[in-house]
Amino acid sequence: MRIETCYFCSSRIYPGHGIQFVRNDCKIFRFCRSKCHAAFKKKKNPRKTKWTKAYRKTAGKELAIDPSFEFEKRRHIPVKYSRELWEKTIEAMKKVEEIRQRRSNNYIMQRLRKGREVEWQRDVREVQRDISLIRSPAAGLKQRQAEEETAMDIEPETIEVMDAKGRRTVVEAPVMVPAMREMVEDCGEVDL
Amino acid sequence: MTYKRKKYHHGDTHLKRRWRLRNRKKDLDEIDSDLKEENAEKLLNQNVDLDLPGAAQHYCLHCARYFIDEQALSEHFKTKVHKRRLKALELEPYSIEESERAAGHGNFKFPSKRKIVTQNNNSDVIDKDGDVVLDDSTASKKKKIDEDDT
Repeated sequence: MRIETCYFCSSRIYPGHGIQFVRNDCKIFRFCRSKCHAAFKKKKNPRKTKWTKAYRKTAGKELAIDPSFEFEKRRHIPVKYSRELWEKTIEAMKKVEEIRQRRSNNYIMQRLRKGREVEWQRDVREVQRDISLIRSPAAGLKQRQAEEETAMDIEPETIEVMDAKGRRTVVEAPVMVPAMREMVEDCGEVDL
Repeated sequence: MTYKRKKYHHGDTHLKRRWRLRNRKKDLDEIDSDLKEENAEKLLNQNVDLDLPGAAQHYCLHCARYFIDEQALSEHFKTKVHKRRLKALELEPYSIEESERAAGHGNFKFPSKRKIVTQNNNSDVIDKDGDVVLDDSTASKKKKIDEDDT
């Protein structure tokens, strides 16, 4: 029993699955499912088909070169069976798999970090280029200050008022102040 | 299957016919092995086979095609199909070994690029043939001219 690899997508093919094609030069092409077989029949290039392992590795999306890949491969050298070696191998396989997982995850995280850096640089560049579009908080500050000064100088208005007895007095007009929150007293609940 | 889904592949027969096994053309990796000198020599100097186009005397290595005469072959070298094929062969073709490497069985090897040029069709035998063909055509032209004169 052997777990084969798919010619097109490089996934595992368990016994009883998939289909194989033997070309007239005796080369055996194994396919995990009809999707891969159909793609092969249409002469699609696995290196250019985005969902295959071959694409992901050639495009540098996944860890491609690492000593941890060297354990599992076709060696064409027969190994004599010994129980001790077998047991050790089983133990080693678990360890190797763990290390390989960690390294490939790390590789992906490194790539993502690079993307974030690029994003940050792009943002900085955008701000530098388009800084003129932002209205500065200091814009018109001097003008506003000057206006305030003039407002302070205005004399309070005066109104002539006639008494009931016909005497005239000059009274300062009340300055209109917009209602503040503090001024409004809490009246409790009001039924309307 | 709904009626609509049935209709999606209407008129696909000509495509499917091309994918049939009996219509299978050589794959890129087969052509790649043909490009090796010892194989290329054999393919370019084939015995006369009357079943094949041009009696198998005018063969394009890169496209794995027979042409009927020297002129058709040289015209073919100028076509887009041929140039596209040269471009496709520039990268080392995909192989079963590579699919295994991509699966994580051994280190992955990145495909190497190389320069591919159209085969040299000025080898002696073909040149002689070409000359003969040319002579024939000129002779026939002369004849035609003669006929026109008379």
